[in-house]
Amino acid sequence: MGWALLLLRISLRNIFSSFLNVIVGLIILAATFFFVVGGSLVNSMDKTMSKSIIDSVAGHAQVYESSSKDKPALFDSWQIPDLDPIPDFSKIKGPLLSDPNVSAVVPEGVNTAIVVYGNTIDQILEKLRKAESPGAGSIMEPAQSNPGPPHEASGQMTRQQRKEMIDSLKAHVRQMIFVIQNDMEKHNKIGAAGSVDPQSIKDLQHAASPAFWAGFDADPLNHLEFLENKIAYLVPDSDQIFLSYVGTDLDAFAKSFDRLQIVDGGMVPPGHRGMLLSKYVYENMFKLKSAHRLDQIHEAITEKRQTIAKNPDLQDLVRQNREQTHEIVLQLDPLSSQKAVSILQGALHSKETDLPKLLSSFFDTNDSNFEARYKIFYDQLAPMLELYRLKPGDTLTIKTYTKSGYVEAVNVKIYGTFQFRGLEKSSMAGSLSLMDLMSFRDLYGYVTPEKIAETKSLEKAAGVKFVPRDQAEADLFGGSTKTDVVQSQPKAINDEAAMGGAKVKRVDLTRQAYTQDEIDKGIVMGAAVILKDPSKLKQTMKNLQAISDKDNLGLKVIDWQQSTGFVGQFVNLTKLILFLASFIIFVVMLVIINNAVVMATLQRVREIGTMRAIGARRLFVLFMVVVETMALGLVFGTIGSALGSALVVLLEHVGMAAPNDWFYFFFSGPKFFPWLNAGSLIGAFIVVVIVTCISALYPAWMATRVSPIQAIAAED
Amino acid sequence: MPQHAEKTAIVSIQKVVKEYHLDKVVVPALRGVSLTVRQGDFLSIVGPSGSGKTTLLNLIGCVDTATRGTVMVDGQDTKGLNDRQLTDLRLHTLGFIFQSFNLVPVLSVFQNVEFPLLLQRKFTAAERAQRVDELLKKVGLDKHTQHRPSELSGGQRQRVAIARALVTRPKIVLADEPTANLDSVTGENIIDLMKEMNEEEKTTFIFSTHDAKVMSHANSVIRLADGKIAAGKAAAGRH
Ligand SMILES: Nc1ncnc2c1ncn2[C@@H]1O[C@H](COP(=O)(O)OP(=O)(O)O)[C@@H](O)[C@H]1O
Ligand SMILES: [Mg+2]
Repeated sequence: MGWALLLLRISLRNIFSSFLNVIVGLIILAATFFFVVGGSLVNSMDKTMSKSIIDSVAGHAQVYESSSKDKPALFDSWQIPDLDPIPDFSKIKGPLLSDPNVSAVVPEGVNTAIVVYGNTIDQILEKLRKAESPGAGSIMEPAQSNPGPPHEASGQMTRQQRKEMIDSLKAHVRQMIFVIQNDMEKHNKIGAAGSVDPQSIKDLQHAASPAFWAGFDADPLNHLEFLENKIAYLVPDSDQIFLSYVGTDLDAFAKSFDRLQIVDGGMVPPGHRGMLLSKYVYENMFKLKSAHRLDQIHEAITEKRQTIAKNPDLQDLVRQNREQTHEIVLQLDPLSSQKAVSILQGALHSKETDLPKLLSSFFDTNDSNFEARYKIFYDQLAPMLELYRLKPGDTLTIKTYTKSGYVEAVNVKIYGTFQFRGLEKSSMAGSLSLMDLMSFRDLYGYVTPEKIAETKSLEKAAGVKFVPRDQAEADLFGGSTKTDVVQSQPKAINDEAAMGGAKVKRVDLTRQAYTQDEIDKGIVMGAAVILKDPSKLKQTMKNLQAISDKDNLGLKVIDWQQSTGFVGQFVNLTKLILFLASFIIFVVMLVIINNAVVMATLQRVREIGTMRAIGARRLFVLFMVVVETMALGLVFGTIGSALGSALVVLLEHVGMAAPNDWFYFFFSGPKFFPWLNAGSLIGAFIVVVIVTCISALYPAWMATRVSPIQAIAAED
Repeated sequence: MPQHAEKTAIVSIQKVVKEYHLDKVVVPALRGVSLTVRQGDFLSIVGPSGSGKTTLLNLIGCVDTATRGTVMVDGQDTKGLNDRQLTDLRLHTLGFIFQSFNLVPVLSVFQNVEFPLLLQRKFTAAERAQRVDELLKKVGLDKHTQHRPSELSGGQRQRVAIARALVTRPKIVLADEPTANLDSVTGENIIDLMKEMNEEEKTTFIFSTHDAKVMSHANSVIRLADGKIAAGKAAAGRH
């Protein structure tokens, strides 16, 4: 007893006796600090992120067809996994629900669509075309019973109103042509003379000539065609948007994933076809780019306390806004342009009359004027602009390439936008939009009897030749972009053709409500399983697999982590990184501590020799070195753990701000509140004990070799 | 009392040769030394530097073994003992006083003196405390029990070392030039103290010195020169 106490006393007293010990101590302190903080962060992030993933899309487990080549990868929207469809969802739903721990089974399939968006002039010409053809006025009528902002109700216009509208649109088109001409001139000045096709210049001159417009009313359709074919493509702002979506039973989805929040518009009515766009995608892809960039700068300044002066990313946004005023200029008709000029002149105290130049200097913002201009933009300019090129209530033509390479397209009504609570800013959670299961199946290329009939009637109505699947591919990749768009939107064209002629089922489709039975009977790519008690996940997964095997459902059950592709693996990745970092620290600690203790032992040869001479056995000096190093480790390890715990507790209260949008997902929101993890504390102590023990072994052995003669020999 | 002398011989050295090997050169440190020390002796080993004093003390102190010849300490031939047995012999039978004191710097005066008792593991804390206090009083340091060695003068440190060497009540105390690091007055005081202890406790003292004043306190003197006992060995016996 006294022996052990003596050792302890010597070792505790020795801790601060040498500089080397302090170095060893600081290393241990830093390492335990790292273990406690790193371990707690990764653990909290793991839990938080699991919750994000589970609560947004994945559910606790996922089932999919066992013959599939890949497994579901819900967030890997850049690469759609190769899954075989489950032929009939209704056949698996019941059996899976029979497990007492399953609270819901929600069909889910991820796909990526391409939304081709016509440019600004296309849209104006489209409006003009509709206004010119009296029959087209009825197009919007059926949609009016649906929720959403009111439309240009051309159907209820008087002759006078229609004339005014046409004149305004025509003026807008002329203005656009003028803008394009100006651009081309500039372009010709800077670039080589031959950079613009001379034919385009001629076409523009023709379209700008008073003669062209004088003859417009006499033959509007031919004039429109000229504008559409020869002029529209000169405006390079058309866009292809890649849209990732989850095809699901929207009602079941909303019920099971209660983080879902509608932001704009409303929910798709029960049983209806329709889409909800992710708010994130809506802002990023469908908002006027200048406005979106202002939003980003505004958020960075107000929420992240960044400055334009110091942040090159913000400077880049300002530069883009300064240079890309096109979209706004093209949107404004002559009257609005005039108004915009006077607003900008007032705001900038300028006498400049050129709108693009005014806009450029208006958007040339710095930290002192940004907020004022941001306000002017939204208060005064925005009311004249279409901030979003798509509004709730609009219909979007969505096309997908199916597995065999041909194109499927459907028109889907956008009912609104949504976000997942707590994940509002996450680009990862925000990458997925939601689509009803019926449209999803159409896009997947699943042919139902209903659909075959529909296709046939449409063919008749539009007189469009059926494109065989084999040939579709060649057409797709062989043709120009322009023809690609036309071919890939057969239904968009068919719709219009159908409107004028026979009544087709197509019109009914967007308005038809499906029964739960109809929704359930059909293919799905997989399903999310929501549990009552998530802690029993492993057992329930086993049970579900057993149910599938027993009933020959052909399903494979995986947990949320396996089903979310890279994102699900991210936690494992961070754990691996932490583990590797820990291992490296471990080895470095071993080497440094070992060396330091060897040096410290060499410095104490006389003391050790004295003890040996006085009668201390070898085992005693061995223990002395080991106990001393361990005491050192435990003392500094405790300090390190305490400091680390203090930091984690502090972070738990003040939160950690996400450094960028990407982290919102992992943090489950803009701020992350980690908590202290007992495992990390225990782990840190185990590491300290092991490291000090191992690194003390060699010097301790050295100490046993010290001869008492070395104590007796005189210093000199 | 020659016949009695045989019985009380506590250290007996016979024809001891000690050679050091430096590379391939053999350095003879002791070249045939024979000597008997009796219990209660206060023996001084003198000789010039390099004559083999330290080597001789190392052999008696069981921290080194002879190349040839026998070294008997407390009736045991050190050649036949392993490291564990030698260590225990040092712990229970021998006490050491070093030229540079060699106290454990992080322990207090009390703890330094207590140290060998702790290693012996045969006394209770109270017994230990009693012994330590008693000895510290004898060496005149009862006021300094809680001081650290660094807070003491050289003379005081050597007193602590004497207390430590004596605390286990060893039969023999060995001191290799215990006064070399002290001024002459302090050195003499230390020798006086050792002498006092020798008389009170009947402990055998063997110490080396090359200081003539110091050796005059001894009741027997062995002169070493060039690894051999030189002429003038004082006859064993009390004055
Ligand atoms: N460890 C050693 N290695 C080699 N030679 C040594 C060693 N220790 C002592 N010697 C040599 O042995 C001789 C006796 O030395 P030592 O016993 O230290 O003499 P003293 O203590 O009388 O000065 C000297 O010549 C010394 O150089
Ligand atoms: Mg010497």
